[in-house]
Amino acid sequence: MSTQVPILAADNLGVRYGSFVALSDVTLSIRPNTIHSVIGPNGAGKTTLFHALTGRVRASSGRISLNGRDITHVSDDKRVPLGIARSFQVTSLFQNLSVRENLRLAAQGRTPLQALAPWRGVDPRGGALAVADEVMERLELAHVSERAAGELSHGQQRRLEVGMAVAAKPRLILLDEPTSGMGIDDVEAMKALIRDLGRDHTVLFIEHNMGIVMNISDTVTVMRAGRVLVEGPPALVRDDPEVRRAYLGNMITGDIA
Amino acid sequence: MNRASLHFVLAALVAIALPLFMRSGTLASEVLIFAMAAAACNLLLGYTGLLSFGQGIFFGLGSYAAGLTLLHTSLPLGAALALATIAGAVAATGVGWLSIRRQGVYFVMLTLAFSQFFYFLAYTFKDVTGGDNGLLNIPRPAIGPFALGESWAYYAFVAVLFLLVFAALQRVASSTFGRTLLAIRDNEERARAIGFPVRLFKITAFAVSGAVTGLAGALHALLIGVAPLSSIEYHMSESILIMTIIGGSGNLFASVLGAGFYVIVSDLLSSIWPRWLLLLGGLLVVVALFMQKGLWGLLERLVEALQNGRKSPVEAPVRPESEGRSI
Repeated sequence: MSTQVPILAADNLGVRYGSFVALSDVTLSIRPNTIHSVIGPNGAGKTTLFHALTGRVRASSGRISLNGRDITHVSDDKRVPLGIARSFQVTSLFQNLSVRENLRLAAQGRTPLQALAPWRGVDPRGGALAVADEVMERLELAHVSERAAGELSHGQQRRLEVGMAVAAKPRLILLDEPTSGMGIDDVEAMKALIRDLGRDHTVLFIEHNMGIVMNISDTVTVMRAGRVLVEGPPALVRDDPEVRRAYLGNMITGDIA
Repeated sequence: MNRASLHFVLAALVAIALPLFMRSGTLASEVLIFAMAAAACNLLLGYTGLLSFGQGIFFGLGSYAAGLTLLHTSLPLGAALALATIAGAVAATGVGWLSIRRQGVYFVMLTLAFSQFFYFLAYTFKDVTGGDNGLLNIPRPAIGPFALGESWAYYAFVAVLFLLVFAALQRVASSTFGRTLLAIRDNEERARAIGFPVRLFKITAFAVSGAVTGLAGALHALLIGVAPLSSIEYHMSESILIMTIIGGSGNLFASVLGAGFYVIVSDLLSSIWPRWLLLLGGLLVVVALFMQKGLWGLLERLVEALQNGRKSPVEAPVRPESEGRSI
């Protein structure tokens, strides 16, 4: 376990917004083909960590590496072809475009420069469209493929949000609270989906639903106030007194499978 | 027939109809020249979501480039037009590259600032541009065996170029590039998150738009035999934007409508009432308040009403989602 090269590693990662320290000294190592969750109270810096890992926010200090390659200074769009894709906590889709077009674009994003040629037809070899259809099938969105993303139900939009990351065929997939605002049935489906994604991808996800976190994670990282508090397998994290104190009554529940 | 070919047929019909209904070949040429400029503006406004006040720069530079080439060199007409196109593209790449560093209001202000900057540049270098007087006595040489001196002959030349440019812009708009622009317009942040270098796409859109606008400027200079200072003025940018908005920013043919309407109505009104711009202002208010899809939207509603009137109500109407966003 320890000799394996981590797919993603952060060393002493720090992010400052002016004088506000959002993230400091975060050291994280994501093993390939695992499901790794990040939990912590609101304001712990979880989303900032995602922003830094995906390049949306520049790291103020520290280092990020993907498969041993330093990507600290690689811009966000250039990290996608390297194999990192993400979903957002607040749904961020192309509202006016169809579900299929949303996913086609996401699939095209791996080879974005091909799309720069103004004379080239849309997806002449059909690769991106095939991926879009495959993802729609997997996420049960095929029946709404031609509908504008903005017209979907909340649950469907959340699934499409995850689908946008899946369509990039990333090695590492980052999901920021995939179940936020979902109804109970949808949450169960999402849990099954994340577990399923873990078979072909490495998954890093932020989640408040402890049922999901404790159930399907291989490793759990607990954050508080911009720092890593504890990291380990679910059972260990659940019983950690520091963690219990951090959540101050926000009971960590959920069964461990 | 799909939407794109329908629009192309409509554009061709306009090019054929203008000589039948208009007495002035000069005015008819002006319609098609501004139709190109407005369609190029639409690529930025409608497809990429960029409100550029820089279009006059590219138009004016195209005028100067063609004028200077024909006045000072023995290069043929084709070369002059090509140089104007390149000048427009290069200037647009530069202006775009700097302006898109900011978004929203600041982007618009930057394009406006560049517009002023180029105007004063043209004004200052009188030796090159003719300053206030403009670049005078630009010849209109023959192209191959075809003399273009007569106004309808020149119209025919402009009409052919217009249709070529229109088809090319349609191709751009429906390409994977154009579809990515629509995505960027819709949600820039997501476009970047799924891997698209958004800036590069916007700069390329600028370059294409600038190239076409530069060509339009060159054709305009040849039309009137002058590259006037007013071609690079801020007012030119404004006129092109107004044409685009009045026509509707949903598709490229709408820009042809907008340009035709603007040029012809301006011509009619200016001969009746010198304060005609007041009416145009009023019209713009109406468009902004009540018909955001512009003249094209009006036309669409008209066609729909006619169809509904004729057909029995049992027949299913066109699904709104396939109508809503047209390319």
